[in-house]
Amino acid sequence: MRAFFKGFVGKVADRYRKMSIQMVISLSFTAVAVVGMVFMGLSLYLRFYTTAETLAEDNSLRVLAQVNLNLERYLHRMMRISDTMYYRVIKNTDLAEGTFIDGMELLYEENRDSLVSIAVFDKQGGSVSAVPLAGLKTSAAPQTSGWFQSAMAKMENLHFSTPHIQNIFDDPDYRYRWVVSLSRYVQLTRDGVTESGVLLVDMSFSGIEQVCQGVELANGGYLYLIDSDGELIYHPRQQLIYAGLLEENNLQAAGYRDGTCREKFQGQMRQVTVKTVGYTGWKLVGVVPAEELGATSRQTFLFGLALLLFSVFLMAFLNFRISAHISDPIRRLEQAVKELEAGTENVEIEEGGCYEIQRLGHSIRSMVSTLHHLMDDIIQQEGQKRRSELEVLQSQINPHFLYNTLDSVIWMTEAGRYDEAIQMVTSLARLFRISLSRGKRIIPLADELEHARHYMTIQQIRFKNKFTTQISAEPGTEGLYTLKLIVQPILENAIYHGMAAAEDDGLITVTARREGETLLIEVADNGMGMRPEVAASLLDEDRPDVRTTGSGIGVRNVHRRIQLTFGAQYGLTILSEPDEGTTVQIRLPALDETGLALYEREVMG
Amino acid sequence: MKHTSRNAWIQLAILVALGGAVILTLILPQLSDRQAADPPLELSVVVRESDSSLWSNARLGMEQAAGELLAELRFLVLTTSNDSQEQMDLLRRECERGADALVVVPAAPEELSQNLRDLTGQCPVICLESQVEGTALTVAPDNRALGQALARALLEDWTGGAVLLLNTAPESEGVLARLDAAKEVLEQAGVPVQCRQARAEGMMAVLDGLVRESETGWIMAFEPAATQGAARAKEEQDLKQPLYGVSVTTDVAAWLERGTVTAAAAWSDYAAGYLAVESAVRTARKERVEMEPLPFSVVRGEDIYDPDNQKLLFPVAP
Repeated sequence: MRAFFKGFVGKVADRYRKMSIQMVISLSFTAVAVVGMVFMGLSLYLRFYTTAETLAEDNSLRVLAQVNLNLERYLHRMMRISDTMYYRVIKNTDLAEGTFIDGMELLYEENRDSLVSIAVFDKQGGSVSAVPLAGLKTSAAPQTSGWFQSAMAKMENLHFSTPHIQNIFDDPDYRYRWVVSLSRYVQLTRDGVTESGVLLVDMSFSGIEQVCQGVELANGGYLYLIDSDGELIYHPRQQLIYAGLLEENNLQAAGYRDGTCREKFQGQMRQVTVKTVGYTGWKLVGVVPAEELGATSRQTFLFGLALLLFSVFLMAFLNFRISAHISDPIRRLEQAVKELEAGTENVEIEEGGCYEIQRLGHSIRSMVSTLHHLMDDIIQQEGQKRRSELEVLQSQINPHFLYNTLDSVIWMTEAGRYDEAIQMVTSLARLFRISLSRGKRIIPLADELEHARHYMTIQQIRFKNKFTTQISAEPGTEGLYTLKLIVQPILENAIYHGMAAAEDDGLITVTARREGETLLIEVADNGMGMRPEVAASLLDEDRPDVRTTGSGIGVRNVHRRIQLTFGAQYGLTILSEPDEGTTVQIRLPALDETGLALYEREVMG
Repeated sequence: MKHTSRNAWIQLAILVALGGAVILTLILPQLSDRQAADPPLELSVVVRESDSSLWSNARLGMEQAAGELLAELRFLVLTTSNDSQEQMDLLRRECERGADALVVVPAAPEELSQNLRDLTGQCPVICLESQVEGTALTVAPDNRALGQALARALLEDWTGGAVLLLNTAPESEGVLARLDAAKEVLEQAGVPVQCRQARAEGMMAVLDGLVRESETGWIMAFEPAATQGAARAKEEQDLKQPLYGVSVTTDVAAWLERGTVTAAAAWSDYAAGYLAVESAVRTARKERVEMEPLPFSVVRGEDIYDPDNQKLLFPVAP
């Protein structure tokens, strides 16, 4: 159990960690609201149910009290008739001198609506007087009747029987009428001597029926009347009970005290209210089916349930919307942060929502702004670093060449070869002017080739025209731009490595052409060449720099500069065969003026 | 976005449905009140006798059931007892008039069975006393058991001589079943039996002749009208043969008390009437109804004031 509980808590916690803030807010609010509503709903429902029960109980008590009052009035009237008969007629009549008939008939006529018969019997059950039927059936034995025996047994009391057919009087019409017999012990006077007798007043059952009939209790309830033993006196469906079509819990009800209780009868819960009728010991029993109470409350329950579900769902719906409204700025912040993490630039960070979220948005925006600045700084620094590196690479060329050239100029001047010296110095000046190019790193292809031409002019003078040079640009390359000073180092290598063994038959060609979006500059010599693996290793970054004659760093520097500037897809390719010569292909992006501007804006910042 | 929008619509739909449920539960009590105010069912009761007093107890039960189950009763008798043609005409007329259900004490069950569909169409028919094929239900005691019980009551008193069995409703299956069962019991006990057909209304004229002709010392009748007729004839003509009959009318109770009728097989006509109308109403309302045979007992004159017999013989009108 504990493990299950822990597992459950763990699952909930796990689920909670994966939930969005909107869901957490929505669920929490809804759960709290539902608990509150259920609690209130149940309280109200129970309160309503209790009130309905109390109302039904009060109603039953009130109705029973009223019926009891009417019944007592009716019974008192019968008792008064009995008293009148006894104290005014029987007590005042000596049977040796007169009869009770006149008094009895008078009483009977006055109350014939509720009386069936009045009779006086002696202690053996013999008829003394009776109205309206005087004669007894031959088979009649009043002394065996319950009402007679009760009267004789308890002389001081009046006795009410349960309903029965009065069968002792000889009725020529053979009418069988249900009566309730009121009997009492009386003392008859005969010739001055008192003797025992029984006074019988048969009340019409319809009198009691009229009192109890038509009484309705709450929720289809009814009442019935029983004697102290639980025998039915009146029931609205009495004949059905007598016919065995219906049963009533009358025997058990005889044991109930006055008041209200609940009973289960034939699987049905009932609210039973009992009121004892004075003097007789009879009990009025009001029955209200608790199921009927439930029927009303079932509708209420259904209404409550529907209302609860509606409220819960409305609450959940509203909570979902409200929590979405509250959490949307946070979600947008989270989304923005995710986009930032993914590297998206120019992410819009909102500063919406409530105060805390605004502050959070503001902080994130500040943080991102700071981050951008820092990144810009880093990029700028990186750019500067790269430019510095390039500048270093470029500067690695200049001193060697300058030294060698100037050395040649000195040497030619000393030798009196002034024209050549002048041409060399002129070319050198032009070379440097193009080298400077007002600080630009990327210059027109024409300038680069011009630069190469001047360089070769200088070198040809220095190498006493051991080789010739052809520099050309194919149509389509006009207006293209190239990285500055990339051809000269290749030419330098071609001179020092390719033309070293040449004897006036060396040829170095420089051709520029466009291949799609690529500018291809080929520098070819017909020198001694080299093995292909040696040629391939020249561009190997891991190869140690070997200072040789010429500009020194050579082709590797050019290759690195190109790749640093334009990317790894560009650079040099060296093709060489021993005794065949070497061709160096320089691949560059074919940048025209627009492309250059775009490149400088995007890549160089 | 599209997903969120669809969810919102679903939520809104559930909200509307629940709102509808709230409104429905609010108006539900009023709806049930309206249902309760449906017009009462109209039931017609057609007996096979011309004297409705024979069914007075049953009528009380019918009226109680009609009152409880919101039905209106039309109680119809024939101008001539056991006139099956008149009864069928009455049934047809009541159906055409729009009765929701019929309660019939069939005069000629077999004939009625053959013409039932033509007469009543889809109108449910509940039978009292005799079973008719094609009717929804029959409210009656176990007629064979009743005949046997009555015969056993006679056997308790039998001192010799033949028993006259009055066949007053030869077409009534229920009455015949009683007669046949009684005859079997008597014959098994070695009691000579004489069966004679007679009309219940003509009993006064023929009973004495039948008794003399069949030389019987005992008389048995198997339907209330015959019992009543035989009792009247017996008193008028001062016949000495003990009479055993079937009925619960007050008259028969008096005859039992006077000794004119020695014993009567009795069941609660009140209960029969109540059950017949209850079954008719429920059948008309298309509810499921099951019926068991009515309980009965054989009451002797000296036992009529026994509390249980009082309740059986003398109905307490509500």
